[in-house]
Amino acid sequence: MTLFDLAKKNVTGNFRSYLLYFLSMIFSVVIYYTFVSFQYSPEVQMGIESSNSLLNIFIGASVILILFVAVFIFYSNSFFTKKRKKEVGLYSLLGMRKKTIGKMLFYENLIMSAAAIVIGIIFGTFLSKLFTMLLLRLLDSAVEVGFGISPEAIINTFIVFLIITLCTSFNAYRLIYRFKLIELFQAEKEGEQTPKASLAPAILAILLIGFSYWLGFQSSSSDMELLLILGLYLVSIVLGTYLLFRFLTIYLLRFAQKRKSSYYRGINIIGISQLLYRINGNARSLTIIALLSAVTISAISVGYSFYYTNEVQAEKDSPFSYAYISSDKEIDGQLDKVITSDSLHPVIGQTEIPVLNVEGEVSNPLLQDYLEEGPVKLVSESTYNKALEILNLDGSVNLSGTEAVGIQPLLTEYSSADYEGHTVTLKTPGSEEKIRFTTMAEDRIIPWSYPDFSVIISDELFKDLAKQLTPIPIASYEVEDEKTTKETFDELNKLTEEGTQLSSYYETYRRGLETAGLNLFVLGFLSLVFLAATGSVIYFKQLTEAHEDKGRYEILHKIGVSKKETSATIRMQTLFVFGLPLIIGMVHGAVILKMCSNIFSALIGTNLTVPIAISVSGYIIIYLFYYLLTINSVKKIVMK
Amino acid sequence: MKTIVEAKQLKKIYGNSGTVFTALDGIDLTIREGEFVGIMGPSGAGKSTLLNVLATIDEVSSGEVTIDGENLLKMNEEDLSAFRRNKLGFIFQDYNLLDTLTVKENILLPLALAKVNTAELERRVIEVADKFGISNLLEKYPYQISGGQKQRTAASRSIIAKPSLILADEPTGALDSKSATDLLETLKELSEEDKATILLVTHDAFAASYCQRVIFIKDGKLFTELVKGNYSRKEFFQKILDVLAAIGGGVDDAL
Repeated sequence: MTLFDLAKKNVTGNFRSYLLYFLSMIFSVVIYYTFVSFQYSPEVQMGIESSNSLLNIFIGASVILILFVAVFIFYSNSFFTKKRKKEVGLYSLLGMRKKTIGKMLFYENLIMSAAAIVIGIIFGTFLSKLFTMLLLRLLDSAVEVGFGISPEAIINTFIVFLIITLCTSFNAYRLIYRFKLIELFQAEKEGEQTPKASLAPAILAILLIGFSYWLGFQSSSSDMELLLILGLYLVSIVLGTYLLFRFLTIYLLRFAQKRKSSYYRGINIIGISQLLYRINGNARSLTIIALLSAVTISAISVGYSFYYTNEVQAEKDSPFSYAYISSDKEIDGQLDKVITSDSLHPVIGQTEIPVLNVEGEVSNPLLQDYLEEGPVKLVSESTYNKALEILNLDGSVNLSGTEAVGIQPLLTEYSSADYEGHTVTLKTPGSEEKIRFTTMAEDRIIPWSYPDFSVIISDELFKDLAKQLTPIPIASYEVEDEKTTKETFDELNKLTEEGTQLSSYYETYRRGLETAGLNLFVLGFLSLVFLAATGSVIYFKQLTEAHEDKGRYEILHKIGVSKKETSATIRMQTLFVFGLPLIIGMVHGAVILKMCSNIFSALIGTNLTVPIAISVSGYIIIYLFYYLLTINSVKKIVMK
Repeated sequence: MKTIVEAKQLKKIYGNSGTVFTALDGIDLTIREGEFVGIMGPSGAGKSTLLNVLATIDEVSSGEVTIDGENLLKMNEEDLSAFRRNKLGFIFQDYNLLDTLTVKENILLPLALAKVNTAELERRVIEVADKFGISNLLEKYPYQISGGQKQRTAASRSIIAKPSLILADEPTGALDSKSATDLLETLKELSEEDKATILLVTHDAFAASYCQRVIFIKDGKLFTELVKGNYSRKEFFQKILDVLAAIGGGVDDAL
C-alpha cells in the first residue's frame, strides 16, 4: 500500500470526522466563487466600467472575503488537526517515520481541498445564478440572466484556493515536527486553569473600548486623518474587546460567585464555575464572534438603510416629478405637451417656481462654511406655499418685511436653532439687504444643486429684489405614480438635449436604487457570510466543549442532577456564550453605524431607526436559530 | 433496626435473544441501618451491575428493590434524580470530582442542589471537612491535591446530605496504602458512630476486612456471606482470603 493509498483510505474511512473540515472548505469555496462569478458577470462588468466606486466596492469586498476565507479555513484546519493529534501520535508510536507521516497528512489535505474546490465551484455556479436573480430583483430590473459558467471566476477561485491549500497542507505536514510525541497524546487533556481576576487589564479593556467609541464620534477633516482614526479605532476596539472577554468577564463571574445565597442555590454553582473555567479558552472565540456580529449588524444596516432611504432621499432631492428651467417658449410648450399627454401619470399639479440667485453672507459661521462662495437661492413665500400645496405637504410659512425662513439643505443635520435669530446679508448690484431668519423649514421644493442654501422671503421683498435681478423660472410638475415614468422621462430627455436642465424624480430614484441595490447586495452578501461564520464558530466551539464536558455531566447525573436541571444549566451557559458577544457586538455595531452615517453622505439627515431595527431583528432571529440549534446538539451529546 | 436496602430476586440480562449475558441471576440482599457491608467477587461476577442498580443508574430486568422504604422500580426519571440526591451518597474509584469546582464547592454540591440555605450549608461543610481532615484544603481545586485528599473530598461529598445509603465503588482502588487505611478507618467510624449505612464494592480483601459483613457473588449469584462478629480485623481478613481462594479468580485480583 502506497502512502497515497493510505491517505486516501484515511479520508474515505474516517469520513465523518473529516466531514466538518471538508464542509467548511466547500462553504468557503462556494461563497468565494459565487461572489467572484458575480463580479465577472456581464451585467456587473458593464456597471463597473461606468462606475469607479462600484469597482472599489467589489475590490474591497473580495479582499475582505479572501481574508475571511483564509482565516476561516485555518480555523477549521486547526480545529481538525487538534482532534487528530492522537491518531498522528499513534502512527509515530507504531514506528512510522516522521517524514512519511508528514507526507501522508500533506496528501490528505491536498485530496480534500481539491475535492472541496471542485464541489464548491459546482455549487457556486448554481448559487451565483440565484444571487444574480436576487440582485436584479432588488434593482427592480427585468433583465434576464443567462445561465453561464465564468472561466475567469473559476481561474480566480482556483488560484486563491490553491494558495490557501498549499499553506494548510504544509501546515499539516509540519504537525508531526511541531510537537513532541507526548504532547500529541495529551492534546485533548490540555487543562484549562480557573483564572484569577486581575484589575489592570480589566480597566484597560474599558479604557480601550471607551477610546475607540470616542474615536468613532470624532469628525475628520482629511482623508489621512480619517484613515488614522480608522486604524486607531480598529486596533483599540479589537484589543479592548479581547481584554474585555479575557478579564472583565472573570470579574462578572467572580462577582456572581461571591453572592453565595444565589451561587449555592441549585445548579448555578455548576454553570458559573464551568463558564469561569472556560473563559481563557473562550476569550478569543467570543472576541471573534462579537466583532463579526458588530461588522455584520452594521454592514447589513448600512446596506438596508441605503435601500430604504432611497425613496425618502429621492423625494427630498427632486421634490417634483419633473422640473426644468423654462427658457424657450417653444421647447417649453413641447415639454408641457409630453408631460400632460401621459395618461398613465396624470398631472396632480404644476407651478412655476421663480428662483433668485443672490450673493450673500450668513451671520452663523456654521452656515457660512456650508455656503462658502455659493449663491443664496431665494424663493417667495407664496411660491413656497403653493408648491407645498401641490406636493401635499404641511408647513406653509407666513412672512412679512425682512423676515425669512431657511430651508434645511439636503444631506445636513442643521436645525432651527442654527437659523433662528441669524441674519443673511444679501448683496445685489445696487444695494445690500439684511434679512433675519425666524426658523427653518424642512421641505425642499427645487431640484438639488450644491450648495443647497435656499431661503424663503416675503413676497414684497421678493418683488423688490426681482426688479434688480432676473429670477430663474423653474417649471415644476407633480404627477401620479412618479416612480414609473420611464417612457415620459426618456421622451423629455430627448427634447431637452440642447441644454435645458431637466430634473426628474424618476431619474433620481432610479440612480439611487441602482447604487443602493448593489450596496445592499454586496453588504448583504458579506453579512450572510459573516453570519454563517459566526454561527459555525460558536456552534463548533460549543460542540467540542460538550464532548469535553460529557464526563462532568455524567458525574452530575450520578449524584442526582435531573435532566431538567441539566437542560437548564446548558441553556444558561449557552446563553452566556451567545448573549454576551451579541450584546457587545450590538453596542460596537451602533458606534460603527454612527461612524458610517458620518462618512456616507446619503445617510446624513435621515431617520434610520426603521431600517436598522429591521436589520438588527433579522440578525437576532437568525442568531436565535443558531442558539436553539446549539442547545439541541449539546443536549444530545451530553445527555446521550 | 430499620431495613435500608431490600432487594429480591434481582435479575439483569444484557443483550438480545441471540447473545444473552446474565449479569445478575436472582440476587437477594438486605442491609440494615448502620451496617457496613462489603461486596466481593471476581471480575464479571456482577458487582458493578448490582451497584449500578442500587445507585438507580441502571435498571433490573426483573426483581424488586426497595431503598429506605421507596420502591425504585416505580419511580420515573425525575423522581430517581431527586432520590439519588436525597437518599444516596457516592464514592467512586476515580473520585468523580468536578475539576471546575473547588474542594469546598465539590463537597457542598449536593446541598446546593437541594437548595439548603447558605448558613446551614457552610456549617455542614466545615463539620464534614473536619471529620475527613481536609479543612485546610477547602479553597483548592482538585488538580492541586493528592489522590487521597481527592477521595476524602469525594467521601465528604457523599455524606454531607446525610444520605440513607452510601455506595462506595472501589474507593481505595487508586490510593496508596496509607491513604486507603485512613479512608477506611473514617468510613468505619461513620458507620459505628453516626449510624451511616455503607455498601462497599471492592476487589481488595484488605478493604473488605473493615466491613461488618462481606457478601461474595459469583456469576451473578450469591456465593457466600461472611460476618465479622467477634473476629479481629486480621482474622477476618484471613477468612476473606480463604473465601476468595475458594471462589477462584478473585485471589489474583486481591493480591
